[in-house]
Amino acid sequence: MLSISFTWLIVAWGVLACIYMLRRAWSRFPKRDVDDVIPFLYPVDISLAESLLDPASEFEYRWRLTPQEFRAAQRKRMRLYLELTRRMAHNSRVLVEYADAERNDPDPRRVTLAAALQEKALEVRLYALLTTIKLRSWLLLRSDMVITMAALPHLRTACEIDGLQTYSALKSAATAAFVRLPPDEMDSLARNL
Amino acid sequence: MKLLMWFIPLGLLSLLLAVLVRRRAFKILPFFFTYVTFAVAADLARFATLGHPHPYRMTYWITESIYDILGILVMYEVLRSVLGGMARSRLTRLILPVFVIVGIGLSLAHHETVPPRVTGFLVYIVLAEIAVRFVQVLVFAGLVTLVPLIGMRWRQYPFGVATGFGLYATVMLLTTVKFSDFGTRFKFLWGITSLVAYSVAVLIWIWFFSIPQKIETPVSELSAPSPGDLKKYKDALRRMR
Repeated sequence: MLSISFTWLIVAWGVLACIYMLRRAWSRFPKRDVDDVIPFLYPVDISLAESLLDPASEFEYRWRLTPQEFRAAQRKRMRLYLELTRRMAHNSRVLVEYADAERNDPDPRRVTLAAALQEKALEVRLYALLTTIKLRSWLLLRSDMVITMAALPHLRTACEIDGLQTYSALKSAATAAFVRLPPDEMDSLARNL
Repeated sequence: MKLLMWFIPLGLLSLLLAVLVRRRAFKILPFFFTYVTFAVAADLARFATLGHPHPYRMTYWITESIYDILGILVMYEVLRSVLGGMARSRLTRLILPVFVIVGIGLSLAHHETVPPRVTGFLVYIVLAEIAVRFVQVLVFAGLVTLVPLIGMRWRQYPFGVATGFGLYATVMLLTTVKFSDFGTRFKFLWGITSLVAYSVAVLIWIWFFSIPQKIETPVSELSAPSPGDLKKYKDALRRMR
C-alpha cells in the first residue's frame, strides 16, 4: 500500500514537472542584459556576514550575556544573517539570468566567463536555499532551547558549499564577466554585490 | 497500423541521430549519443526479426536489458552535466545511488503487487526496466524542481535529455500503474501510449538539440585578455579589497 502511494507520488511529481517544463517552454521572458544587472543588485556586507559566522564572537556573546539576553541577541543575529542570505540569493538569481543570456553570445570567451559566473551563482543559490530553510526552521520553532543551541558558525557550509567563500568567488566571476564595463559602473557592481 | 508503429519512432530516432551528429553531441553527451545510436540499431534489429518469433524474442529482451543499462548511464551523465561543479560534493554524488535504491525498492514492491507475466531471467529485466523508469522520473522531476528553486538553466542539452526521458518514463509508469486494471485492453493501450510518449520524447530531444549550444572552452585554452582588459580587471579587483 505504501509503495503504491510512493509510486503515485513520484508519478504526480513527474506530471507536475512535465507541466512546468511545458509552461517554461511556452512563455518567453525578456532576456536580462548588462543594463539590467547593477541597479537590481542588493549590497551584501561580507564582513558583517563573517562576524555573524565567527565562532569566537558567538562564544563571546554566550559568555558575556545572560541566557535570556543571549537568546534575544541570537534571534537578531539569525534574522540579520537571513537577510544577508536572501540578498545573496537575489543577487545570484540576477547573475544567473544575465549569464543565461550571455551564453548565446558568439564570443567563446564571454560564453566561458558566463558559464563560470552561472556555476558560482548556482552554488550560492543552493547554499542560500539550504541555509534559509535551516534559519527559518530555527526561527519558526521559537523554542528557547533551539535558539540557545543553534550555532550560527555551523551555517558557514551547507552541502559542502562554503557560503561566504563561494559568494566571494561569485564576485570575482562577476568582475571577470563584466570586465568590459566602464570603470564607474564596475565600481557600482563591486559595491552592489 | 503495426508498420506505422515501427516507422514513426525509427524515423524520428534517425532524424535525432542526424541532429546529434550535426551538433557533435558525442563530445558533450557520449552516453546519450550511444543510447540513440543503439536505439536505431535495436529498432532495425527488431524489425529484421519481426517474422521470426524466437529470434525476435531474443533480440527484444537482449536489447531491453541494454536499454536499461544505457538508461542509467545517461541519467548519470545528465546529473553530472547539469549539476556541474556541485556534482563534486559528497551529497550530490549520493543522488543517483539513492534514486537507484528507491527505484529498485519500488520496482520490487510493484512486482509483489502485480507479478509480471514473464518467468526466469526475464523477470529481472522487467524489474530493472521499471526501476530505471523510476530513476528517470526522479532525476527529471528533481532537476525541474531546482529550476525555480535555484534558478538552474533549463534550456541546455542535458536538461532536454532528462525531459524526454522524464516524460516518457512518467507516462509509462502511469500506464503500468493505472492501465494494468484494464485487463485484455491493457496491451493495446500500452502499445499506443508507449508509441505516442516515446515519439513525443524523441521530438523533445530533437527540439532541444536543434539549437546550437556553445561548447565551453576551458579557460586555459582561451586567448589571453588584452592588456586593457587586464588593467580594468586588476583595477576592479584592487577596488574590491
